[in-house]
Amino acid sequence: MAATLLDKPRTAPVRTPRRRAGGGAGSPLARQQRRMFWPFAAPALLVYGVLFLAPVGYALWTSLYRWDGMGDMQWRGLGNYQVLLKDPSFRTSVGNTLELMFVGGTVTFVISFALTLVLREMKARLFARSVLFFPCLVNGMVFGIAAGFLFSPTGPVNQALHFLGVTTPPKWLSTDNLLPMVLGTLIWTATGYYTSIIMAAVDQIPAYLYEAAELDGANAWQRFRHVTLPCAWDVISVCAVLWTVSSVKIFELILLFGGSSSNYPPVSSWNTALYVYSEAFPQATVPRLGMATAAAIVSLLMVTVATLVLRRLMRRDPIEY
Amino acid sequence: MPRTTLLTTTRIVGAAAATALVLGLSACGSSGSGAGGAAKAGGGFTYWSMWRAEEPQAQVLKAAIADFTTATGIKVDVNWAGRDVSKKIGPAIAANQAPDLWDQANDAIFGATASAGQALDLSPVLAQQVPGENVPVSQVIPAKYFDMLPKDPGGSNHYVIPYEVATTGLYYNAADPDLAAAMPAAPADWAGLLKVCDALKARNKPCFASEGEDPWTNGLYFDYLLNGGGVDVNRLATDKSGAAWDDPAVLAAAQKVEQLVKGGYLIPGYDATKYPAQETNWAGGKAAFLMNGSWVTAEVAKQIPAGWKFGSMLPPGTKAPDATLFGFSIPKKAKHAEAAEKFIAFFLQKKELAGISTSAGNITPREDVPAPAELADAQKALAGATVRLPFDGVAGSWSPKVLDQHFLDLWHGKSTAAQFIAKCKADQVTYWQTQG
Repeated sequence: MAATLLDKPRTAPVRTPRRRAGGGAGSPLARQQRRMFWPFAAPALLVYGVLFLAPVGYALWTSLYRWDGMGDMQWRGLGNYQVLLKDPSFRTSVGNTLELMFVGGTVTFVISFALTLVLREMKARLFARSVLFFPCLVNGMVFGIAAGFLFSPTGPVNQALHFLGVTTPPKWLSTDNLLPMVLGTLIWTATGYYTSIIMAAVDQIPAYLYEAAELDGANAWQRFRHVTLPCAWDVISVCAVLWTVSSVKIFELILLFGGSSSNYPPVSSWNTALYVYSEAFPQATVPRLGMATAAAIVSLLMVTVATLVLRRLMRRDPIEY
Repeated sequence: MPRTTLLTTTRIVGAAAATALVLGLSACGSSGSGAGGAAKAGGGFTYWSMWRAEEPQAQVLKAAIADFTTATGIKVDVNWAGRDVSKKIGPAIAANQAPDLWDQANDAIFGATASAGQALDLSPVLAQQVPGENVPVSQVIPAKYFDMLPKDPGGSNHYVIPYEVATTGLYYNAADPDLAAAMPAAPADWAGLLKVCDALKARNKPCFASEGEDPWTNGLYFDYLLNGGGVDVNRLATDKSGAAWDDPAVLAAAQKVEQLVKGGYLIPGYDATKYPAQETNWAGGKAAFLMNGSWVTAEVAKQIPAGWKFGSMLPPGTKAPDATLFGFSIPKKAKHAEAAEKFIAFFLQKKELAGISTSAGNITPREDVPAPAELADAQKALAGATVRLPFDGVAGSWSPKVLDQHFLDLWHGKSTAAQFIAKCKADQVTYWQTQG
């Protein structure tokens, strides 16, 4: 049995059931399984459809109209999308979203890998991992609020820098530095999170692989490159997807970092989520829900494409150990 | 939209509401209140308040509601919803779950309901007698407050009846010896103000505190200067060709702003801090003036040292102060509008409304209710013949998308007045192309 399975080409198990389904034949067990497919899958599909697909469909439908949320909907076709293309603030928002996704992701994962490299071999690593994970427990809003105190010209950060001999520290809180500050906070909070997940995968890698590598004369970097990375690749690629999805949804951090209580943050720091918010809740005028949903749909498409491309790029044959 | 202390939290809660709305999950009301329609006809009405139960305004309203029920037998079903009420009202109206009465700032009411023709014309309330006073409501609420408002599609500007008024200006400590020496009398013109600033500079005191990140309070200088130069900001903003920016009065106003920046009159470090750092500095006497709203006296009440004496003035040359109204509105779909109207008139009687000044520390629209001592100057400014909306009521995302960023560049000394105008003009043309 095992031998026959292994001898078959890789695609066979996929093709076989389809042929059977088409022919209507099959063993009693397979028939039973087919009969049970819908009763078991239906509840999950129903929940998925009602809570996810229906709202997305509704948003897609709304994005083709001009609507204030109360009155009649006016058909606009793809008009909202055309306006989005023309709107420089939307282009800025998309640019910033991509910057947060790619720059933030790259830095986060580079630091996470570096930490993995160190953490695997250090003492008290469980404690160190807890410490690293801690920023992730704190709500991003706390950083948004605390930043005003920490980074003020006479605040603790500048005092520490002064102690280290830096006499003209940057104006951390100036509006130009808004996006880098948001990015920094994001990386700081996310690094611990992804390090923890990757470390959990690394812990599963059998020690003998490392011992063998060491015997072969591999240094720490080579052990990471040839043992850790390939063995933890599945988890890393899931982390990459998680990051992509979550980076598009960042909202309150930018709002709190850049917005005063009466204002939106400057457009130069908007991401698509903030753009959606500004269209859905404008000042002293009715919401433009058509535009808001169109922007939301565009960002959904963006994250879908990014995820698909990422999955494609990171696909490897799984390594079993 | 003026800054009330709690708006930040409002925004965050708003974010959740936004997501829900956009995903279309809440077409039938994330209102969170089962109150809608709970009040029976004749027996009462529902009221969604912009205040949270523990706020002083809520206390004043609670007392009035108790008096009202005693006097009329009409029960009021209140939901102390907080500022987010303006985001809940639209979906509630769409789902036919609207309350009979709600309150917010005039711009929020206009944006959420009136501009879509969903607010009841409250002219009948103005004709009602104020209980116990033998005068109609129209006589105690000055008409100028309605005159400044944009009209709804039905041509009415009586969609909100105010019970509290906020205004903005330059706030200062009249008991500050440095300021007393530098400003023996209020300056009559812009040059006079700069002279005061120079005198303060000679005493090593920065003239203006400023939260450098905030385009709204800092933008008020530009707003007032435009007003002094006879430019209507809303007309400037709604010119689709952008040509309105070529008006020499606009350049003059921008140049005066530039003067404040280049002249070194702003508190050092203003462009590297976050709210409320500079407000705190100002309350600590580290700068003479702070451009802000009348709510600032309450915000810094716990920080100011003893002996502090609030004063306020408008930038010299200003033609009319701005006013933001906090008041009642009734959705067109309200089921018990009549009872709600009765309550509005009831609350506007002097003995009920006085609590807004005495307990909540704010200015009321009734000129015969004295403002708290710290806002006496502000009330005097409002007593003039005309008032206007902040930024002349400019609406939508014009501020963030056209003005704010370029203004902050000017305010941080990164661009000149001429560059500022050129950028705003260009962005305004693009902005209107995306507003179809």
